[in-house]
Amino acid sequence: MAAKSTDTKNMAGEVVNILEHFPIAEQAPPSKVSFSATGAHFGEVVPDAEEEPVFDRAARKGIQGNIIPGFRKDYQYFLFYELGEISAAKRWLQWLAPLITSMDDALAFVRSYRALRDRLGSKDVPLKATWLNIAFSCGAIAKLVSPEDAEAFGDQSFRQGLAERSGFLGDPTAEKAEGNRQNWVVGGPGKEADVLVIVAADDPADLAAWVRKIRGKEDEHGLKLLFEQQGEALPGPLRGHEHFGFKDGVSQPGVRGRASAAPTDFITPRYLTDDRARLFAKPGQPLIWPGEFLLGERRQNPEDLYASADPAGNFPKWAARGSYLVCRRLRQDVRAFWGFAAQQAAALGVPPEKLASMLVGRWPSGAPILRVSAADNPVLGADEMANNHFLFDDDTRPSALRPMPGYPGDAHPQAGADVLGQVCPHFAHIRKVNPRDSTTDLGKTGDTLLRAILRRGIAFGPPVVGVKKPRPKLWKQERGLMFVSYQSSIEDQFEFLVRRWSNSALQPNVGGHDPVIGQHEAYGSRERFIDFPHGRKPARIAINAEWVIPTGGGYFFSPPIEAIAEVLGI
Amino acid sequence: MPLTRFDTPGNLRDAPPGSPFYDAWHRKIDGLIDNGNVGSGGVGEIYNPARKDVDVIAERSLVWMGFPRRVVFDHRDDRPEAFRVADLRTEEDREKQEEYLEWRAIRQDGKITKVTFTTETPEYWKLLFEEEPDTVVCLYRNLVGDPGVVKEDLVDSAGVYDKHNPWNTTRGIVHLNVISPLDNTLDAAVRLAVGSAGLRNPHSLDNYELQENTSQPPTSADPRVTMDGNTLVRRGLSVTLREPVGLYIAGWDDTGWTKPDGSPVGNYWCVVRGRSGAALRVEYEVPKEEGFVVGDIRIGGRPIEFGGQIAEHVTVMIGGIAGTPRP
Repeated sequence: MAAKSTDTKNMAGEVVNILEHFPIAEQAPPSKVSFSATGAHFGEVVPDAEEEPVFDRAARKGIQGNIIPGFRKDYQYFLFYELGEISAAKRWLQWLAPLITSMDDALAFVRSYRALRDRLGSKDVPLKATWLNIAFSCGAIAKLVSPEDAEAFGDQSFRQGLAERSGFLGDPTAEKAEGNRQNWVVGGPGKEADVLVIVAADDPADLAAWVRKIRGKEDEHGLKLLFEQQGEALPGPLRGHEHFGFKDGVSQPGVRGRASAAPTDFITPRYLTDDRARLFAKPGQPLIWPGEFLLGERRQNPEDLYASADPAGNFPKWAARGSYLVCRRLRQDVRAFWGFAAQQAAALGVPPEKLASMLVGRWPSGAPILRVSAADNPVLGADEMANNHFLFDDDTRPSALRPMPGYPGDAHPQAGADVLGQVCPHFAHIRKVNPRDSTTDLGKTGDTLLRAILRRGIAFGPPVVGVKKPRPKLWKQERGLMFVSYQSSIEDQFEFLVRRWSNSALQPNVGGHDPVIGQHEAYGSRERFIDFPHGRKPARIAINAEWVIPTGGGYFFSPPIEAIAEVLGI
Repeated sequence: MPLTRFDTPGNLRDAPPGSPFYDAWHRKIDGLIDNGNVGSGGVGEIYNPARKDVDVIAERSLVWMGFPRRVVFDHRDDRPEAFRVADLRTEEDREKQEEYLEWRAIRQDGKITKVTFTTETPEYWKLLFEEEPDTVVCLYRNLVGDPGVVKEDLVDSAGVYDKHNPWNTTRGIVHLNVISPLDNTLDAAVRLAVGSAGLRNPHSLDNYELQENTSQPPTSADPRVTMDGNTLVRRGLSVTLREPVGLYIAGWDDTGWTKPDGSPVGNYWCVVRGRSGAALRVEYEVPKEEGFVVGDIRIGGRPIEFGGQIAEHVTVMIGGIAGTPRP
């Protein structure tokens, strides 16, 4: 039998296929949580800190729940609609508005879930919910409200739409290329959705029932379904991982703010008790002012790590506390990614799992390679107080944490300084999109806080990693990531991260393109490269294959819930 | 490894072989580096490679955005206004272009036809003028494309080279000239790097703390150079600027730039001085045979109306070296 591109030698010298014998997929999933993560305790007030805004009941009822705190359900469904007759569409919105899940709904559930999980000591919590959110394109706002209101949105990228920005994001311009916008399943020219509906559930039967319920209203309200996509968390030990097999969504910003006037009722629970509690909610999770994600809230000060700055005002009044939503349907070519890793690993004399982890910056379990550089450590990968705690440029110091019954503390090796990118290379995906403490091409460390996005994506398609002897039919099925992010500026956050950092060999630090999601096109060539650490002169490795391919999406605005019934639906 | 003799930026050979200019330039850079905190000792240091040798372990290029970050945040919610403001020039200088990259856009019938970018420093031109004035006049004529440049145009009333001469302000661009609020000079850039060791603060154990404990201007270049230099020194490394010492255009990204027909642009960049990857002067102009001009190009669907829209995609660099002291 011909050798597969992903065949590699294991430590015993045997030839094995890395995908079929994926280490993390062969481990039993942890059945118990190791510590009491939150309970009903949300942290302590930091003395002399600027007071964080209160999201009172009206605000919590208005903000859509996938923005804050995020749905994070294992089963999700995406419905991309084109609106027909506008008065019918408005009637549909009137019907839909009461069903939309608010921050209040989702936050209450999350808090109940965590409290119950802590009492039970298990993630198997008998609570479930089905949620729904909605977002509108600029064109839809023009149709439903007015062209003037659509033009009043200050984010020029939103007004242009994803299809027009596709080339700017590095997507292929060759007409026959799969990733060319003309070939997208949704969102390309002439196929741009007016509305995106996201349904999320803990139970797949509940999800299906809700989707049927919504779809049952299509004819009555003149809605044309352009595309539908089910998302589903990977099964078993790969839950929370993306299709290449790596844990995803580990690093999320912590949104500053409180759910009530109570001084410690933080919407992002706080765990640190030392001086760094001013900047971090839990180790490695920076606190960021909510205006970076919600229009009209106080924003992050560009010159001060801790202070807020004035809110943006460049949007219609009714859009306050809404958020821009970016959706990208990204197909993943698992064989191409691991084939590249296996080939380069053989050439460099590095285990393929390690080389692939250097491309990502984390081991498949989520353990950062800066904390464990020799081999994966699933215990570290599962420890949410430790798996995101590391700096790039300086030695990482332990954080003082408030007592958490059952949590033994972070006893894993701390990350050492890696300012030259010799352990976690400058091209590594997590170093590209989140340079943390490093300075960047935009200068001071704090500028990076202004680039953060709230990621709410989910995998789609059947996994192939960890599947023994996969049938050809399985390989032919599509798999990938429904990337979803929320931000208050598409241009300065999502597009900045993609265009300026992932797609650049020079920025934020010289060392090559992001080998996971980066794209680059210049004068007909789509070659990327990475400078692999190799003494004073790194080894330059060209990348001519692509394993993350854009296949659809759109730029949307997720309005406050009250505006759906009172503005868009009127 | 022999001790360094400082060469000209981009290894330029503007002066004839044997000209005293080259010795003068070496002395200039030697003096700039020595005027900082060289030999500050402790856990790490900035060193003068002309006076000390180290075992080099890595090269590091410090890069930053060419468009002024201060202007971006002064107009945080109105990027078109930021572009407009950055392109405005007074009679004296290109005042907003403070990131060691200055540009000049040429327009015809309101449309941009050419944008010239430079990172060349006034010190180089002043010294070259002092040693080889006729050469400077000749270079000016070539660079601004006007044979009418004469020596008298380039000096002040005392006969000293004037970096704000008409051919480097109102009538053309040859090298950096911004003096306010931050100097676009090699002296200032070297001071940032050399002075980075002096930022050492016992309470700054990482860049978060360094940002909090030090005052950094709202630019990209200044904190990039000082904080990065300080980070390397904190690691106990001996750090210096990479030869040939200078400010360079490291690259540009025209992905997603389109012709009027929507197809991707060709390579319209021309490195006039320096080399690709370490350029000193670059021109962006569409060849005549294409049948359109720079102002007809769209960046991500937006027409180019200001030179700053291009500068946003230009990356500036100063090279560094880190090593360990020899026993």
